Amino acid sequence: MSDDQTAVMSAAEAWCAQEPIRVPGSVQPHGFLLVIDDTELRIRQLSQSVQTWLGHAAEALLGTPLVALLGSDTPLAARLTGDYGEPHHLGVITLRHADGTLRPFEWVVHRQAQLLVLEFEPADGSSEQAFSGMYPLVRTFVNRIHEAVDVQTMCALAVSEVKRITGYGRVVAYRFDADGHGHVIAEEVDDGYDRYLGLHFPASDIPAQARALYVLNRIRVIQDADYTPSPLLPPVNPENGAPLDLSLAMLRSVSPVHLQYMKNMGTQASMSVSIVIDNALWGLISCHDHAPSPVRFHTRTACELLGNILSLQIEAKEAHEVATHMLSLRQQVVHMLSAMADRDSVHEGLLAMPGVLLGFARASGAAIVTASGIERVGVVPPLHSVAQLVAWLAANHAAEVFTSDCISRDLPHIDGLAEFAGGVLAVSISELHPHYLIWLRPETVRTVSWAGEPVKVQAESDGQLRLNPRASFASWQQTLRGFCIPWLPAEIDGALELRGAVLGIVLRKAEELAQLADELKKSNRELESFSYSVSHDLRAPLRHIASYAELLVDTEQQALTERGQHFLDNISESARFAGQLVDNLLTFSQMGRSEIRPTRVDVGELIATIQREMLPDYADRQIEWQIHPMPSVWADNTFLHLALRNLIANAIKYTRLREVAQIEIGAQQEGDEDVISIRDNGVGFDPQYASKLYGVFQRLHRMEEFEGTGIGLANVRRIVERHHGRTWAEGQPGAGATFHIALPRRITNNTKNNR
Amino acid sequence: MLKPIFLVEDNPKDLELTLIALERSQLANEVIVLRDGAEALDCLFRRGNYANWQDGNPAVILLDLKLPKVDGLEVLKAIRETPELRSIPIVMLTSSKEEPDLMRAYELGVNAYVVKPVEFKDFVSAITELGIFWAVVNEPPPGSTRYRAIGQPHRHERLRTGRNDE
Repeated sequence: MSDDQTAVMSAAEAWCAQEPIRVPGSVQPHGFLLVIDDTELRIRQLSQSVQTWLGHAAEALLGTPLVALLGSDTPLAARLTGDYGEPHHLGVITLRHADGTLRPFEWVVHRQAQLLVLEFEPADGSSEQAFSGMYPLVRTFVNRIHEAVDVQTMCALAVSEVKRITGYGRVVAYRFDADGHGHVIAEEVDDGYDRYLGLHFPASDIPAQARALYVLNRIRVIQDADYTPSPLLPPVNPENGAPLDLSLAMLRSVSPVHLQYMKNMGTQASMSVSIVIDNALWGLISCHDHAPSPVRFHTRTACELLGNILSLQIEAKEAHEVATHMLSLRQQVVHMLSAMADRDSVHEGLLAMPGVLLGFARASGAAIVTASGIERVGVVPPLHSVAQLVAWLAANHAAEVFTSDCISRDLPHIDGLAEFAGGVLAVSISELHPHYLIWLRPETVRTVSWAGEPVKVQAESDGQLRLNPRASFASWQQTLRGFCIPWLPAEIDGALELRGAVLGIVLRKAEELAQLADELKKSNRELESFSYSVSHDLRAPLRHIASYAELLVDTEQQALTERGQHFLDNISESARFAGQLVDNLLTFSQMGRSEIRPTRVDVGELIATIQREMLPDYADRQIEWQIHPMPSVWADNTFLHLALRNLIANAIKYTRLREVAQIEIGAQQEGDEDVISIRDNGVGFDPQYASKLYGVFQRLHRMEEFEGTGIGLANVRRIVERHHGRTWAEGQPGAGATFHIALPRRITNNTKNNR
Repeated sequence: MLKPIFLVEDNPKDLELTLIALERSQLANEVIVLRDGAEALDCLFRRGNYANWQDGNPAVILLDLKLPKVDGLEVLKAIRETPELRSIPIVMLTSSKEEPDLMRAYELGVNAYVVKPVEFKDFVSAITELGIFWAVVNEPPPGSTRYRAIGQPHRHERLRTGRNDE
């Protein structure tokens, strides 16, 4: 629908909303209405149509006690004892016509404060006979509707029954969709009537206040669209000046717009029976005829009863279907839950049963967004689209569940999403983090057949906004693109149940983690005290050995043989090395414990500093440095310094045998990471050991070739991992090596939790 | 007339090595050796075996962090809480800079610390630097008694002997 049309529609609907449909001030003339007070039972207000049926002028009857109209045999007071909050049929009453004859009328009463509203329609035949005919009808109908397999069949049965007992030329059953459009799902027509089966009637055909009235008063009859409304006398309540509320009256006169609508449709008589479920208008049984058709009171009552039975049956059927669907969804939730519990992981559990995960929501694709990243199942858009959707959900949608049956309408800003799916259902699975389960449904192109173009045309005459009901009911096709099959409430409930289950697992895991963290804290404390005693107790004897060996060389040099001197050198060297080992190990363990304090670090500056610091180590060497422009990264300055120093020291060390060493340091941005690479032309390494490089005490060279404790690269890896980054290396024996560290461009602040 | 250096150290090997380092650093100060925290406090507060201790306060105390009976931190705390002793410079000796107690030592007001290096030569130079700074360069705190210089080669033999009358 275009924007212009929408604007016209809403203006028209606003106009309709002002129509006084509950207080039209007149009734249909196929009966008459009397308002009496509940104490003296005198006539206070009445419809002009009383003249037609009783021969008295309305004016003459004002103030007259009702009893004056009665045939002598009727004990009136005894029959008006009820509360009458709802319209109540009191059977047949005999009233005296002005010409002296007695006339039988069906009469219905309902109360409005101190007033009783009485409606009379001529009775034909005996009402007992009419009602005795209703029992078999109801019994047969109830039996058949009970056997109906679906709602559509139920409606078809009701339509057929209504048509049989009323004799209308066309009887249809509508069902309203979520937007209020009516869909004709059952129909029976006589020859010469247009068929509407399968067509849609736009929501605007029945304005909101008319819908509300359909819920309140479940049957409405217009015996002749050409009727002349019979006004009330006086027009308003003489006591308080209020117009008479005719919401519950059978004779209520309807809106002239509706009468015009009927005529445009070629309908001269109509009856509507509401199908109400959960206090909402689910649908209508609507009857039309080309000719005026009186529907007698007992027939109407039968139709109303039939409408009530139909409503109850549909409600039961739908509740049953929802329950069955819900049960099957629950079974699938249980499957997924047990898979998650088995693997102790939400995403692993769900990934293990992609069929259930997708089938559960009748989805073509799904994404599981957890701390482990984004996992995709089925037909899904690229990662960045999902990430964009997640970011949008996190920023804009606080509720537990989000649904859209039209991505192109609701989420047009998410790149590439609409190309993969029509609709999305997402539930959040964490109170703290942007973690979600997301299902995507394919687009389903739908063709909707409308009974006429769904716009009421507004016309202006005598300076007033008027509403002309649409004149054309010719079938009109509309193709709806970009939509998926709507998400059913049961499916959304099912997704929420799954969410609850996932949260349960996450919660249990969190508890386990908390316990684990406690144990870790304890063992960390033990480790710290162990480190302390290592540093103190192990270092002291090593220091003593080294120091005494040194003193021995100092003081007893002359007395020592060359061999003795050599042994002492070895003692010193070993002790010194062991001391270094202890120191490095302590640094390594400290690195795991201390807090990361990230700041903006200029890597280029850092490298220049390290080069200066290490100058004594390579002053006598020939090194060609090639340092490319370096980024600023978000990192702990001290730790990053240590890591880069380790890598640069390695490059200097392992190029020792080259006449001209070449060390190249470069950086580039790859995705969300800054990758810093240090390449040398040194001895390199066998790539099959690449994975061992970063382990503690892993050495790829003999001690006499290259000294070292085997902890340096382990330190590098630990530092980088504390920054949520990655390390890797490439090399060939004799052909140099390249060491890479990748640091995320934005580091999260929960480093404390990731020890 | 130099004030003595107090060395509080329990490990006999560390003690010997530290004394050699002090000797090699050519400091002229007398060195008084105390073997644990309790003894150090007795000496400083003139009590127990040191009730008759007549010497004045030291130029600097070289204090091992880990000591039997009363540890280095407690000694440090007691000194900093006593007005007459508060201004004595204290240098912590420690096996490793990783020791968590070092932070505590700074909070309690230690003046410096020395990590005992594996290389003896390094240790000698560290001790020399500290000795020169605290024992020679620093002005003595007000109220300190002047102490006479003695050139004994084995000053550490004054263990628990009270005043040396030479």
